Amino acid sequence: MSLRDCVDFAFNALKGQPIRVSLCVTGIAIGIMAIVVLTALGEGARRYVVNQFMSIGSNLLLVVPGKTETTGAIPGFAGAPHDLTIMDSQAIRRNIRSIQRLAPISMGTETVRYGERRRQVPIVGTTADFLEIRHLRMARGQFLPRGDPQRGAPLVVLGHRVAQELFPDTSPLGQLIRVGNWRMRVIGILAPRGTQLSMDMDDLVLVPVATGMQLLNRHSLYRILLGVRNVSDLETTCGRIVALLTERHGEDDTTCITQGSVVGTFSSILNALTVSLAAIGFISLTVAGIGIMNVMFVAVADRTEEIGLLKALGARSRQILLLFLIEAVILSLAGGMIGLTLGWTIVQGLTTLYPAIPASTPLWASVSAVLVSFAVGVVFGLLPAHRAGRLDPVHALERHAS
Amino acid sequence: MTGELIIDGFMTGAQVIKLKNVSKIYQVGDQPVYALANITEHIKPGEYVAIMGPSGSGKSTLLNVLGCLLRPTEGSYQLNGQEINTLNDSELSKLRQSVIGFIFQSFHLIPRLTAAGNVELPMIFAGIAPQVRQQRVTQALEAVGLTARSHHRPDQLSVGQRQRVVIARATVMNPRLILADEPTGNLDSESGKQILGLLDQLYALGHTLIIVTHDINVAHRAERVLVISDGHIVQRTSSCNLTPESL
Ligand SMILES: Nc1ncnc2c1ncn2[C@@H]1O[C@H](COP(=O)(O)OP(=O)(O)OP(=O)(O)O)[C@@H](O)[C@H]1O
Ligand SMILES: [Mg+2]
Repeated sequence: MSLRDCVDFAFNALKGQPIRVSLCVTGIAIGIMAIVVLTALGEGARRYVVNQFMSIGSNLLLVVPGKTETTGAIPGFAGAPHDLTIMDSQAIRRNIRSIQRLAPISMGTETVRYGERRRQVPIVGTTADFLEIRHLRMARGQFLPRGDPQRGAPLVVLGHRVAQELFPDTSPLGQLIRVGNWRMRVIGILAPRGTQLSMDMDDLVLVPVATGMQLLNRHSLYRILLGVRNVSDLETTCGRIVALLTERHGEDDTTCITQGSVVGTFSSILNALTVSLAAIGFISLTVAGIGIMNVMFVAVADRTEEIGLLKALGARSRQILLLFLIEAVILSLAGGMIGLTLGWTIVQGLTTLYPAIPASTPLWASVSAVLVSFAVGVVFGLLPAHRAGRLDPVHALERHAS
Repeated sequence: MTGELIIDGFMTGAQVIKLKNVSKIYQVGDQPVYALANITEHIKPGEYVAIMGPSGSGKSTLLNVLGCLLRPTEGSYQLNGQEINTLNDSELSKLRQSVIGFIFQSFHLIPRLTAAGNVELPMIFAGIAPQVRQQRVTQALEAVGLTARSHHRPDQLSVGQRQRVVIARATVMNPRLILADEPTGNLDSESGKQILGLLDQLYALGHTLIIVTHDINVAHRAERVLVISDGHIVQRTSSCNLTPESL
């Protein structure tokens, strides 16, 4: 008996049970669709985050005060590290030649006021290099001037939205605004940029780093952002920076994070998310598989007479087992194909609706969805098929109906 | 004599049946039920044998043993010199496929398949190529006069036509041994006669025919009649000596 004959026979048998077949196929299709859509969303989230990091350059290093065991996780409040100072950042710039750009950053929130209008906004103290490091552009005016970062100046650069809200009618350039108790002059406005790594670049105020530390009453920098000349130098540069700061502080109390390790951490967290989403899909597939098993058991019971006949006509147990197994596999594979098509269509729709999230089913998910739907047919079809093959022909034939 | 028969069977490809002390025992609770008790019988190639007896006497059981659908509990059954007890299930299937054709009282046609599809079945499991199958289906349906009905499903056929499809299916592999369990039991007398006519043709072609029947007129067509009661063969007679009283 050729495979072709088996498939023909199985198809013919399935045609007679349109309702059972379509319910079964729907179950599997939903399971496969769930896998395809959920993994696409997980993968979309991962790509979104990775893209966010990559959009600000892959040659970035981050120096933060404090120490963590695991690279990648951003250190927080453990221990009482030495302050990370503007002098530290200058020392790094002087001593480490692989560094192309460097921006010390102080961070806080303050009230910004112009006339009657006031807003609570994030204040970022930094230097001229920040513009290039974060890939920002000016809408109008100047960015923070170059010069000695130790020296402050009462100058501000406004984020796009802050500028619009404080100055709905007039041009902000050259105007004096209040930041906390400080009177400062607006020298530039950023071009719209949107959110970058959860920092809304349109909703902040930039000041010179020394001014920022005074204004916000900070003793330590929030972090130092660095761009290296060659991506291949990232790791060694990190090592040198930590060594230098250790020497300066008398202890190893800073952490240097490479872009790659941050991306890697997020990426692996989100990969885990994708896999767990896939697992949910696989659970629903198992439920659908039990549905197939049920339908096949019913089919074997319904067609006992037929099985007895086939045996009398010389069909071997294995041939009958194969026939029923193929029926189960046809059900599950059909479900798999339909689920895959539906899933892809939904993912396509989602990416059209929400282009920001690059949802895309990973290849492994599509391939394993099909393989698993095949396997579901085999695994859950095996028991009923085995029962069919084992039926005693005389008993089976006695259940006559036709 | 026996030796000659086996050689004869070998030469012509015909089957010879030798049952020796065959019993079929069912355990019902603790009680053994002898569906067949110590049957010893030889059937020659090309013979036409009718099996008669009251209901529950073991006729179907005997036919199922002869058709290798049931293994005897005790005793020996040789089909064309081959001891059935020594064959495994798959070898028995092979034997049923190539040597035995079944005709059932209740047809056992697959309702979703056409007449042609039903007739084709045994050849599918035998692994015969599709073109050959087509050709043989056509011939087999022609032989039973159903060429025009080949695409009809069983429920679109009269019972007599259904039984003719069954005969086409039973003969399509050209088996030497044809076993029929009350083939006319579900038919009106006219269709019954048609079926018996077809069986006569098979007999004339040299098939060995064993037919279980309650109908003495049917039994008259056979050469020989075995009468069974309670699992024993109680009478062996030529069909011309058969009278209603002898049952
Ligand atoms: N699976 C079984 N389990 C127990 N007893 C059985 C089984 N099959 C058959 N028998 C018994 O064996 C005996 C012979 O049954 P069989 O079907 O051969 O009778 P039969 O002569 O064909 O009867 P009928 O003319 O009614 O078809 C009966 O007494 C029956 O009850
Ligand atoms: Mg019977």
